[in-house]
Amino acid sequence: MTALLRLENVTKRFGGLVAVDSMNLDVHHGEALGIVGPNGSGKTTLYNVISGVYVPDEGKVLFEGADITRVPIYRRSPMGMGRTFQIPRPFASASVRENVAVGAMFGSLADKLSVDQSLEMADHYLEVMGISEHRDKPAGNLTPVEKKLMEMARAFAMKPKLLLMDEAMAGMHPKDIDGIVSLMKRIQREEGVAVISMVEHIMRAVKGFADRVVVIHQGRKLVDAPTAEALSDQRVVDVYLGRPNVEESDATS
Amino acid sequence: MAAPRWSGLMKYLPLLPVYAAYIILLLLGLYLPGMWQMVALVLFYAAVGQAFNVFIGMTRYVDFGYVAFIALGSYGMAIAISRLAAFPQLGVGIIAIGLILGVVMAVLLSIAVGGVALRLRGAYFAIATIGVSEGFRYFIDGAKIWGGSEGIIFSRQLKEVFGPTANSLSTFWADVLVLLIAIVAAFVTIHYMRTRVGYALTALREDEDAAKVMGINVTKYKIIAFVTSAAFAGLIGASAWALKTTYVFPADVFLITYTVEAIVIVMLGGAGTLLGPVVGGLVYGLSKYWLAIALPGYQLLIFAPALLVIIVTFPQGIVGVVKRKVKGTALERYIV
Repeated sequence: MTALLRLENVTKRFGGLVAVDSMNLDVHHGEALGIVGPNGSGKTTLYNVISGVYVPDEGKVLFEGADITRVPIYRRSPMGMGRTFQIPRPFASASVRENVAVGAMFGSLADKLSVDQSLEMADHYLEVMGISEHRDKPAGNLTPVEKKLMEMARAFAMKPKLLLMDEAMAGMHPKDIDGIVSLMKRIQREEGVAVISMVEHIMRAVKGFADRVVVIHQGRKLVDAPTAEALSDQRVVDVYLGRPNVEESDATS
Repeated sequence: MAAPRWSGLMKYLPLLPVYAAYIILLLLGLYLPGMWQMVALVLFYAAVGQAFNVFIGMTRYVDFGYVAFIALGSYGMAIAISRLAAFPQLGVGIIAIGLILGVVMAVLLSIAVGGVALRLRGAYFAIATIGVSEGFRYFIDGAKIWGGSEGIIFSRQLKEVFGPTANSLSTFWADVLVLLIAIVAAFVTIHYMRTRVGYALTALREDEDAAKVMGINVTKYKIIAFVTSAAFAGLIGASAWALKTTYVFPADVFLITYTVEAIVIVMLGGAGTLLGPVVGGLVYGLSKYWLAIALPGYQLLIFAPALLVIIVTFPQGIVGVVKRKVKGTALERYIV
């Protein structure tokens, strides 16, 4: 079976710095993948190569078997690639409902949905994310947590086959994280979306969400294994996690 | 079947206050003696505001060379009348050809400028466009095309074709044409707002990078807004300028003042709103008309600080403020 996303020998350099070094990676349909790495590990560069912000210096990015290495960003959404930002980026003056409708209108169903149908789909995902009561507010007036939920609703309304999430849980209260993680997990399963979640240090989010974890260190893959196995791998613990963190997230789950 | 069609029409309800304002203006001009000149001025500014709003209001990109489209539109009409006067049997057809030529010339320039400059962001775009209208003006001067700096005077040809009605063409029908253009521009604006184009423009106006990620081809939608806006500017130039004055001089039509006036009208009324340019045109047109009588020569001295005050104190403009006030009331669906 063709991988949904395949990276073949992807290298991205900035001057003399090799941010991503001959990376190979397969992501399958419906898979929840966590990409973990400390600050400066090349995680964000990798994310930007996959989403089309950077063109790699070497190697190829394949999406459902098609070479998308040089496909412009705006053409990736109709192909079925969605993305959220580390810091939510709402269209501030537009209403919450309109924000989510934009996702539907220009996403993978762009040709099939009318404006009215997109607005209906927006209502559906606002309901799912539990922020229906805010639908007529300007998106700029939401609280940070609500913005995050709105951005997820907008991303799911794009009906992606692959959703890239950049530090989705950064800066959030642990109580909120658990709720959002289980919600995301549910939608991801129900809709069969493959999700790549980039995480720097919030391990409880990875543990609750990912089926598989790839740990990146200095631009290379250090470990690629099922979640529990990857997080307890001695090399990972040594270079990056440290034991207390793992213990702590074990204790709370 | 009736229900969806009705709800489709409901989306166009905000046209009611716009068209009501135009009808009242028209009636005032027709039935109150001596008012037509003032009404024509207001209509002109409302139309310019609406034309410019499609681009600056919906994208927040500022085009300092906007007057070039008005100028090219007026050249289109001037060329049509001066060349086609030899075929008086064409009659009103000459005016129609002039309008079409004006639109085509404005649109061609906008595609050329937009195709290149709209790949630039915000301020870089604004800087790039300053050169366009000035450059074009000196090009006409230097290359001696379309009469060079002498321009085109076609009042004689207009008389040859239309005889005694030539006069009313300039003093009345040119203004009626402007009104028709404003009516169409309002319709196109609300139509854009209610379709994908409007959603795409709102998204790119707020965050261009996020809009791209959503799957929006931002350059394409910016060009759509730019070309639409230029087409209306061309029509306004052909009727409100050329047909009304019966001459075109490059030094007069490529005046940056018109671009600045258009910006003031859109900002004052409420950028990106449907009703804004009409309100802005009304306020600006009326105050300019009365200031010219009360304090001749001081208009700009008053408008320049006024613009500053508007941008600092209520950047959403008059209609933007009203829109927020009526939120949640029955008026909400009429004020957009």
